[in-house]
Amino acid sequence: MDEGCVYEKRLSRIEQAIRLEPVDRCPVVYSGVAFSPKYMGMSIASFCEDPQVAADVTIAAMDRIGGFDGINAPATGRITPALATLWLSRVGVPGRDLPSDSLWQVREEEIMTHADYDTIIEKGWRGFLAGYMPKVIDPKELKEFIDWSQSMTVPMLQRYREHDYVVMCGGLGSIPFEHFCGGRSMEKFYFDLYRIPDKVQAAMDAAFPEMIDATIGVAKLSGRPGVWLGGWRAASGLLAPKLWDHFVWPYYLRFANALVNAGLTPVLHWDQDWTRDLVRLQELPSKKCILNPDGMTDMEEFKKLAGDRMAMMGDVPASLLSTGTPDDVHVYVRKLVSLFNSTGLIISSGCDIPIDAKPENVRAMVDAAHESG
Amino acid sequence: MNNRLVAAISDLDEGEAVSLVKELLNEGVDPIAILASCQEGMMQVGKRFENAEYFISDLMMAAEIFKTATAPLETRISAGGGTRKKGTIVFGTVKGDIHNIGKDIVIGLLRAAGYDVLDLGTDVPAQRFVDAASETGARIVGLSGLLTIAYEAMKETRAALDAAGLDVKVMIGGGPMTASVKEYVGADGWGINAQSAVTLANQWTEAQDQGLYGSNESKGAGIGVDHG
Repeated sequence: MDEGCVYEKRLSRIEQAIRLEPVDRCPVVYSGVAFSPKYMGMSIASFCEDPQVAADVTIAAMDRIGGFDGINAPATGRITPALATLWLSRVGVPGRDLPSDSLWQVREEEIMTHADYDTIIEKGWRGFLAGYMPKVIDPKELKEFIDWSQSMTVPMLQRYREHDYVVMCGGLGSIPFEHFCGGRSMEKFYFDLYRIPDKVQAAMDAAFPEMIDATIGVAKLSGRPGVWLGGWRAASGLLAPKLWDHFVWPYYLRFANALVNAGLTPVLHWDQDWTRDLVRLQELPSKKCILNPDGMTDMEEFKKLAGDRMAMMGDVPASLLSTGTPDDVHVYVRKLVSLFNSTGLIISSGCDIPIDAKPENVRAMVDAAHESG
Repeated sequence: MNNRLVAAISDLDEGEAVSLVKELLNEGVDPIAILASCQEGMMQVGKRFENAEYFISDLMMAAEIFKTATAPLETRISAGGGTRKKGTIVFGTVKGDIHNIGKDIVIGLLRAAGYDVLDLGTDVPAQRFVDAASETGARIVGLSGLLTIAYEAMKETRAALDAAGLDVKVMIGGGPMTASVKEYVGADGWGINAQSAVTLANQWTEAQDQGLYGSNESKGAGIGVDHG
């Protein structure tokens, strides 16, 4: 196969998987943020400091492991400002706040207040962020991040294309729940859901249209159809059903429909356990979305309830990649392949490949996918 | 047992629970008896969780209601020379990890269950766990972590506790914890949710009371909660 065909073949394999069509083998997609510099001998501080360097080392790690068809959601800017905007939280930066080889860490603290709900209702999402973000990140650093991302997203993603890697997601977003939960801190936000539900919902509804528009705008700019739509503290395993039905699912459904109507592909990057509510996935447009779980959601239930409607990208658990053996990983992937009968299945790590994953385990994940044909 | 108070706690009715405690205190009811009703309410919350009627958010809210409702009781119980403690547990997020949510949830539930919990905070070096367990005489140590890098720190902490000759049970919890991680760390117990930390602590404490402390009846319980 000449090099010009490699990308097309990989792209076709992934698109077929998304449409639940037969494939020559299951595609395998990289999702390794901190693993990349660790594996390549670079400090985490250097990875966080320079987005160009971060992209280079990510591609180098993918090349060195070998065999990947694509990458889930590559960073198109520095990782720590990106996390600050997603979580509305301060982020400990390696080399600045933390030792240079430690992992960045989102700080769990109550920064967003009850009064901020009123601000969102009155001023909208962008109006709120203008006053709020300086509480969690230096405005100069944030501006540099935004400027760099806007000007460099397309050339950055092109770098992956030049290495024949398919970029799954060019856009990134989440529902109001996750943003608010990050800003309020988990405990305080959960209490808000019980104590002041109407206020929280009003703020969510005020912010949501702008969130959707912003995400679609970035995704369109990127030129890639996938949109990473994250969820972690909104998981079914954490929330009472009455809360999930009210504050979580309606927003995912509306977000996903908006993305699909815009010609985009929602990638539901759902950490934690969402098994209880998998039946709701039947409400999503058929063969237009991807579930991207982290190993905690029951895949047999998913296959039974929604496996004929959407693909699954995942879900080799982080703990397996860190503490398991290559044989363990092979067994896990083979079980997935058997469950899905190689259809609608994109092999990847559950969430990100952890920083301390054994490279031989990551390689085993790739090998097992290649043996799935 | 005051059934209305038990129901208010177990039904997560914060306003009712808070006002009932005040009402009972004003009527001269023994604070220890009021506390017992609140703890019974928390027991029922735990049962509902085990029956999948309640979820983590409900557990967190229940612990918050318990904390708020019982606040007026603490000083009166202390002043009266009473006690409500089952024993001391040393708890913290291990070195290299600053996540506190899972830890805080579990500590709230353990306190509601009657344990005196010494919260060491986050990013806690192994030696601090050793010192705290030694100073307090705690028989249980809880290690929390969200990141996979916590595995090594947990293992080191377990080793340090053993090296210091402390006879303690170690429970681990957090998003990436599994049975294999428990084995790797050398912990005595682990689990998938916060409520099971209470179950585990109760099992160990009861075994201790019955002189069975050295047994290995610790499997299947634990303190894991994903923090996102």
